[in-house]
Amino acid sequence: MNLKIILMDFIFSIKAWYRSKGGMFWSLAFPVILILLFGAIFSGIGSSKYTLYVQDQDQTELSKVFNATLNATKLFNINVVDADVNVTSFIKEKNIKSLIVIPKGFEQTIQESFTNPSARVDIQFYFDPSEQTTTQVIRSVITSILQEMNKNLSQSRTIIGVREISTITENFNFIDFFLPGMIGFTIMQGAIYGSIERNTKYRKDGILRKLLTTPITRTEWILAKMLFMMFLAALTTILITIIGILVFGMTVHIDAWVIIVIIATSFLFSGMGMLIGRFVKEEETADTAAGAISFPMMFLAGTFFPLEQMPQFLQTIAHVLPLYYVNEALRNSMIYMNQNESLINGAVVIIFAAVFFISGVLLTKWKED
Amino acid sequence: MMEQKFKCPNCGQIVSFYGNPGENKVVSCPACNSTGRITIPTDRKNNNYAIEVSHLKKVYGDLIAVNDISFSVKNGEIFAFLGPNGAGKTTTVEMIESIRIPTNGSIKLLGKDVKTQFNDIKEKIGILPQEFHSFERLTVRETLVYFSNLFKKKADVEEIIQSLDLTSHKNILYKNLSGGLKQRVGVAISLVNDPDIIFLDEPTTGLDPKARREVWGVIAGLRKKRKTVFLTTHYMEEAEFLADHIAVIFKGKIIAEGTLEDLIRNYGKSSVMHIKKCKNAADVIEMLKQEGYDEVFSEGNGDIAIKIDYKERVLEILSHLRHDCIEYESLDIRRSNLEEVFLRLTGSKLTEDTQ
Repeated sequence: MNLKIILMDFIFSIKAWYRSKGGMFWSLAFPVILILLFGAIFSGIGSSKYTLYVQDQDQTELSKVFNATLNATKLFNINVVDADVNVTSFIKEKNIKSLIVIPKGFEQTIQESFTNPSARVDIQFYFDPSEQTTTQVIRSVITSILQEMNKNLSQSRTIIGVREISTITENFNFIDFFLPGMIGFTIMQGAIYGSIERNTKYRKDGILRKLLTTPITRTEWILAKMLFMMFLAALTTILITIIGILVFGMTVHIDAWVIIVIIATSFLFSGMGMLIGRFVKEEETADTAAGAISFPMMFLAGTFFPLEQMPQFLQTIAHVLPLYYVNEALRNSMIYMNQNESLINGAVVIIFAAVFFISGVLLTKWKED
Repeated sequence: MMEQKFKCPNCGQIVSFYGNPGENKVVSCPACNSTGRITIPTDRKNNNYAIEVSHLKKVYGDLIAVNDISFSVKNGEIFAFLGPNGAGKTTTVEMIESIRIPTNGSIKLLGKDVKTQFNDIKEKIGILPQEFHSFERLTVRETLVYFSNLFKKKADVEEIIQSLDLTSHKNILYKNLSGGLKQRVGVAISLVNDPDIIFLDEPTTGLDPKARREVWGVIAGLRKKRKTVFLTTHYMEEAEFLADHIAVIFKGKIIAEGTLEDLIRNYGKSSVMHIKKCKNAADVIEMLKQEGYDEVFSEGNGDIAIKIDYKERVLEILSHLRHDCIEYESLDIRRSNLEEVFLRLTGSKLTEDTQ
């Protein structure tokens, strides 16, 4: 392997990219514009049905009435959590966004309130501050149900209250959700389209045939191009992160694992681009095919909107999309500091990267039939 | 005419016949009565060959793209591989360049086998692929430096720029160059490693006449540098202008080979009378054939070509035309060229769709 050739190709790739207005726009200006626009516009997003976990520790008639009332709103997909489960660990392990606990003694306290004016019981509402809209909706539904119940029990007093507990210690908003998604999305676009250009345009232009007759090997060429892809990915990450910190005052954590996930993401989508270029040889058709794959992925993989706000079947689809795991790995590592989740999702990204990149390298060829 | 001998592929009988090197003849075997065409090999022995191709074949499913062809290219000559689109030119050159894998046959470049020793050959060859477009956002100079850096053996980039008259364009981005300049840069790229053999696959296709002449000038300059040039083209005048040796390929087979003079002597021995825009051309051809003119061809649009064996024939034809009151627009007599050679060999014009 000739490192000098790899480095030389890498430097010439940067030169050519720097001169491409389109390349510069899509890899740098576009994500910046989206970050600024979405960050400014979105304070919350509407939705029709929300996932809510409920733990009924009381298991009495009254607690069941409260449960039934929540169900009757038809706003929630309610998942029951067993009474003996430790909710704090449950929330952390399952990455739960919204959970309500009806405490033990719920019915008894209400009964006591008829004789004891100071008797009061609090429902615990665990919420994810980054899910602003979801939290807002659930909070207002609970408040109105409790208002109605309190009114029936006593005209003036609050017998049943709400105690809100954040599932995470920091306060997150939409931009915290959006920034890692934008990094993943931009790397995906750059890698897929870059790879397609190399495998369709360069083939059509005879550049691959020309290279085949020079001493550069395919391995050296691919490594040089991956080096360039990683340079672009690093540039994108740094730029988006700086905007997040300076414009939106975010706290972003970048560690070795984030870098590994970003490198794996570059390999993953470069491999995907190679496969598209392998089977769709016309340049324009390959671009369309890339769009047909990357755009739905952008919307379905939780880049712009939290998955919880999508219908169940779309959530299921999201779990087979590589970009979903990239987004989750980056988000958990860079923003939520949830290393377990990040490790699991990042591992999936690495597996996807290995499968796509190796198949891409093996299936694409410079030689003609 | 020299006596030629060959072994009948049917019965093994040694058959003698007369013909010139490069000539394509119909030969019958007296022993088994089988008949076939044979191209008499040119006398190119006792030379160091830059390229040796033997029994090369490429098959795609039912299609035989290249059908058992053999030829050799001398060191330092410009060899034109002439044929219409789809004849098998690019398939052949790409097999020689190891871009495509042959179905059969052997190829040697500078004495080395392409199949097993291509990595040793890469430093010694320069290639301009068909319809080549380089990196759009590198300047001419950067493009040459890029490709030069891929090789151990390097020519002086500035010297190449100067010799191909690219000095005033060297800092212009490739995408902003005209078609002719792009092709000139393509030729320049093929020279960055100071190669012994240069392959130029249809280097002037799509260029206007002025740009084509410019590229011809560059290719002719390579002869002075004693480079071996393998040129594929479907332009007669390009082969006539540039080539030391020409092989005509048609439907995957080499149908004639030799110098321009060889080809004209063998296939266009006489001059040709052209009658332009003749009324009832088909009837006139029929009439001339009945009068004993065997080699009369339609050139389309009412144009007729008639081979003239001796000058008295001209007067005879004119008298026939006058006698039958044939109307036509113009008439001229020309010496044979490659176009007529090709017409005679294939029955069709090179510029027509002959696939």
